[in-house]
Amino acid sequence: MATSTTSSVYIHVIEDVINKVREEFVNNGGPGDSVLTELQGLWEMKMMHAGVICGPIERSSAPKQPAPGGPITPVHDLNVPYEGTEEYETPTAEILFPPTPLQTPIQTPLPGSAATPLLGSADNSSMYNIPTGPSEYPTPVSDSGGSSDVKGGRQYMPSPSPTPWMSQRPPVVDVNVAYVEGRDEVDRGSSQQPLTQDFFMMSSGKRKREDFATQYHSSGYIPQQDGAGDATPGFLQVSKGSDSLAGRGTVTSAKREMLACGTRSSSKIPQLDGPIPDPYDDVLSTPNIYNYQGVVNEDYNIVNTPAVNELQAGTPAIIAQQDVVDDDDDEPLNENDDDELDDVDQGEELNTHHLVLAQFDKVTRTKSRWKCTLKDGIMHINNKDILFNKATGEFDF
Amino acid sequence: MATFELYRRSTIGMCLTETLDEMVQSGTLSPELAIQVLVQFDKSMTEALETQVKSKVSIKGHLHTYRFCDNVWTFILQDALFKNEDTQENVGRVKIVACDSKLLTQ
Repeated sequence: MATSTTSSVYIHVIEDVINKVREEFVNNGGPGDSVLTELQGLWEMKMMHAGVICGPIERSSAPKQPAPGGPITPVHDLNVPYEGTEEYETPTAEILFPPTPLQTPIQTPLPGSAATPLLGSADNSSMYNIPTGPSEYPTPVSDSGGSSDVKGGRQYMPSPSPTPWMSQRPPVVDVNVAYVEGRDEVDRGSSQQPLTQDFFMMSSGKRKREDFATQYHSSGYIPQQDGAGDATPGFLQVSKGSDSLAGRGTVTSAKREMLACGTRSSSKIPQLDGPIPDPYDDVLSTPNIYNYQGVVNEDYNIVNTPAVNELQAGTPAIIAQQDVVDDDDDEPLNENDDDELDDVDQGEELNTHHLVLAQFDKVTRTKSRWKCTLKDGIMHINNKDILFNKATGEFDF
Repeated sequence: MATFELYRRSTIGMCLTETLDEMVQSGTLSPELAIQVLVQFDKSMTEALETQVKSKVSIKGHLHTYRFCDNVWTFILQDALFKNEDTQENVGRVKIVACDSKLLTQ
């Protein structure tokens, strides 16, 4: 079926094309007028078979219009990036996919945060958000703000203050953020060391442990001799920790001792058996145990964390481990995305006979509501060709 | 006047392409000339849509997929409803491909 207007426009286009290429066919050793007539005949026949023009075509005996267009303008190459003005709402590729994720310099810990694992972990939560990069969509501001930090200044960013409130952030572990083991250790190992030292000095006086300071530095493990206790709970700690970590490997001695001391502070257990794998990592990801961490803080057992042990955190093993964790996080997501797109694409190419070809004036989106204005379109829908001068689209995603 | 090759995928464009293919294969037409015909078609089709078509259409539907790549928007709609002055059409799945109109007016 062909609507009469579509048919007449098509016939007009055919005649226009034929007339305007006639010169090329006749002159310059071209194949001649007969070939052009053959071309027109074949074209019109196919159009009639396709049912988009109503025959018979009244042949106007090719009124030789003087081709006004002059030389043929080269077709605009759509593969060249469009560098127009930025005045319209259509998001450009730069907005949708910024070249590099923004990274706010929040790696340095807040003052006083080094000694407390709580603040340290708050630091971590913001760090973990960095790799996710800026997102096209506004995220709820309530999600600890970690993600907002990295997206400051992007187009859809609702909260305009990216970093200033970093300093007022309460020492809260962001439980919405996936904990990536190992990152904080690198961070802490490099930047928090001096602060840890300060606390060491301060509270070691309190605890009367100056004697062991040098020993910690050299040996790398802590013989806890200040309180009474036996080694058995320490061993229990070890087994528990390694079970929960499930062979994840390297953990900072710093954290081990923090945790170990924290748990054992009441029972006064000397740790004589070297570094302990750390349940602290698991603690981080669960909000309930987080409160329990608060108790650890008050206990100043952080004193037992020597700087040397912290430096061990920055071993290559940890970095490798980090990569593994990252892969686990990213890969399935990306793969799924691609697969879905591909499926849709292939399915569409094969199955869709309904097609709209047009030019867009404007495409906008508000939440999941899309609006677009199109012009100069050809629609092929339900075996009908329909032309339009303007079209408005309202879609919900 | 710049043009899009977009409309070559329409029925009239496909018919022309097939015709040119056959004639080039049979040797009656040189490939260069065939390209010139296609380029002229791009111009004529764009011009005809601008000058001869006045109808307005509204499209509603569920947006299944959207994509903006190389200044071309692609939408895949589900359960779309097309309305113009005389008729309306329901389509289970339709693809919309739209080039940036500002590219032509530059």
